[in-house]
Amino acid sequence: MTAQWQDMLLGAAFAVTGAAAAFKAAAYPGASGGYPMVLGLMLAGLGALVSLKAVKAGETAERPLTENTPRMVLTLVCGALYLALVPVLGFYTASALVVLALPVVLGFRRPVYLGAVTIVFIGIVWSVFSLLLEKPLPAEIWMRF
Amino acid sequence: MDTIATILSSVLAPGPFLAMIGSSILGVFIGALPGLNPVMAIALLLPLTYSMDPLVALAMVAGIYNGSMYGGAIPAILLRIPGTPAAIATTFDGYPMAQKGEAARALKIACWSSAIGGTASALALITVGPLLARATLAFGPAEYFWIAVFGMASVGVLVGNDAVKGLMAAVFGLLLGTVGLDQLSGVPRYTFGQTWLLSGLDLIVILVGLYAMPPVLSLAEKADLSGLSSRDLKLEAVRVPWSEIKSIIPTWIRSSLIGIGVGILPGAGGNVAAFLSYNAAKNASDDPKSFGKGNPNGVAAAECGNNADNAASMIPALALGIPGNVVAALVLGALLIHGLQPGPQLFHQNPQLVGGFMVEMLLTSLIILVVGGAAATRVFAQVQRLPGVLLVPSVLVLMTVGVYVINGRVVDLWIMFAAGACGYFLEKMSVPLAPIVLGLILGPMAEQNIRRALLISRGDVTELVTRPISATIAVATLALIVWPIATAILRRRKAAREPANTAPQDRTTP
Repeated sequence: MTAQWQDMLLGAAFAVTGAAAAFKAAAYPGASGGYPMVLGLMLAGLGALVSLKAVKAGETAERPLTENTPRMVLTLVCGALYLALVPVLGFYTASALVVLALPVVLGFRRPVYLGAVTIVFIGIVWSVFSLLLEKPLPAEIWMRF
Repeated sequence: MDTIATILSSVLAPGPFLAMIGSSILGVFIGALPGLNPVMAIALLLPLTYSMDPLVALAMVAGIYNGSMYGGAIPAILLRIPGTPAAIATTFDGYPMAQKGEAARALKIACWSSAIGGTASALALITVGPLLARATLAFGPAEYFWIAVFGMASVGVLVGNDAVKGLMAAVFGLLLGTVGLDQLSGVPRYTFGQTWLLSGLDLIVILVGLYAMPPVLSLAEKADLSGLSSRDLKLEAVRVPWSEIKSIIPTWIRSSLIGIGVGILPGAGGNVAAFLSYNAAKNASDDPKSFGKGNPNGVAAAECGNNADNAASMIPALALGIPGNVVAALVLGALLIHGLQPGPQLFHQNPQLVGGFMVEMLLTSLIILVVGGAAATRVFAQVQRLPGVLLVPSVLVLMTVGVYVINGRVVDLWIMFAAGACGYFLEKMSVPLAPIVLGLILGPMAEQNIRRALLISRGDVTELVTRPISATIAVATLALIVWPIATAILRRRKAAREPANTAPQDRTTP
């Protein structure tokens, strides 16, 4: 996508967000609504200005949004899966899985090295957060039975 | 005198002292790893500081900041890969020195230059910061409102390439700052019936997402599978002769002053300071052609300049509540999570804490001399043998645990994830992230003060611009916003006029 199109869509998205925020703020009583309404209108104006500037700039060169789309998407998907698994499997189990799986997904093929790094890394995180700081984290699935 | 003694005794207590040493070492590691940067490290650190003593937390921030700014020089010199953006100028002469077999000498000069720049900067913070804070004692709500607006406008306009996008990001941040219960009237705003939104969007959750996620995605895209071989990382201890040190002293003085000046200005960062210092050293040199070919003065100028920016950027942050760069914004975040409001009152209400942080900035600059020695640098260089692809899930796990421990809520993880993904794409579309963070930090301050000022003046809006100080800051803010727009219009008109002027001449040519 060209920089012109990106900026037009970006400006439009912020303009819509600002207008919606201003509309919602109008329902707030008294001074509670005045400040966010002004901000919403300013955001809408600036968003429109970004779009307008892009329209006036004319056709521009391509501006890639990613360096490597498949790897970026895979990382986002793995990240989302990891967050979804944290409350289900428990923090350390889900974390060990993502530390093992994500490098493999990205092309890393040294299982012994990866296994050692996973054990050391999860061990450090456990020592700091559970042993030293005693922070409560989502319980492991195998500890719930 | 009593205050100074109390500050020194509290900073040199085992907790803050060990935190300074540990975090300086950690900072050098982080800086030495291309892909990781001080902003990301401090953003990841902040959630951990909730339960810490504020002085220990700030010691860690100071150590990571100063340590990583030096650490960035290690891959810049050894591999021509700047560990941090501020180390780009270090590659110009550092890498040619390494190619000539002088890597250890270049690293030693970088280490000393970083320490000297950082120390000069911390001394500037210690002397100028309190003076600036004292000058702002006469400020009322109207002045504080304009200071908040000035801070956001300056960062919005000066950071990034597009002033309109910067301002848009700042206003978006301000709007995000209004989510939750209105602190003055108790009215819920933009909560959509969700109770977890009543307390607003957590600053640290957004910070971690915005600043840690984009580098993670970039590392994943690059997918470095092998790391470096030990052959590339061989270093031998060397001595730098006194005659060479003497020739670098003027560069250190010049670069320190440039770095301090750049640091105080909101919006400019360590990379700008490094480039300006490098150019100044080149212009002042008797042999400017040797720059770029392995001149030690080039390494000294770049490293001294980028470290001299560090503490100086805290001067407007601590004295006025206006961060000079993103790290300063994170320091403000660290203060806020400990219930401390940055700005002039901080110096009067918590002199020991502010003074302690200043001394920590100074001491961590000096600690670099110890942890950045030849033997230590040899160890730090080894972290580059770690394949970059292993850092991707590791940072993701650290982000997750850091955010979860704040409130113990899974929903915060998703907010962090969404903020990170948005941050990644916004950066790609040249929307700076710093104004969003600044809007979140300064938004509540701006709103509370404008409403307080209007309550005092019984709704008279002119009160905001009729007091001499508030009027001055308001005019400065307006000038700051109008200036780049006006210059852009003038430049465009000039460009449009020039072809018209040259056209008749063109017609006469055969």
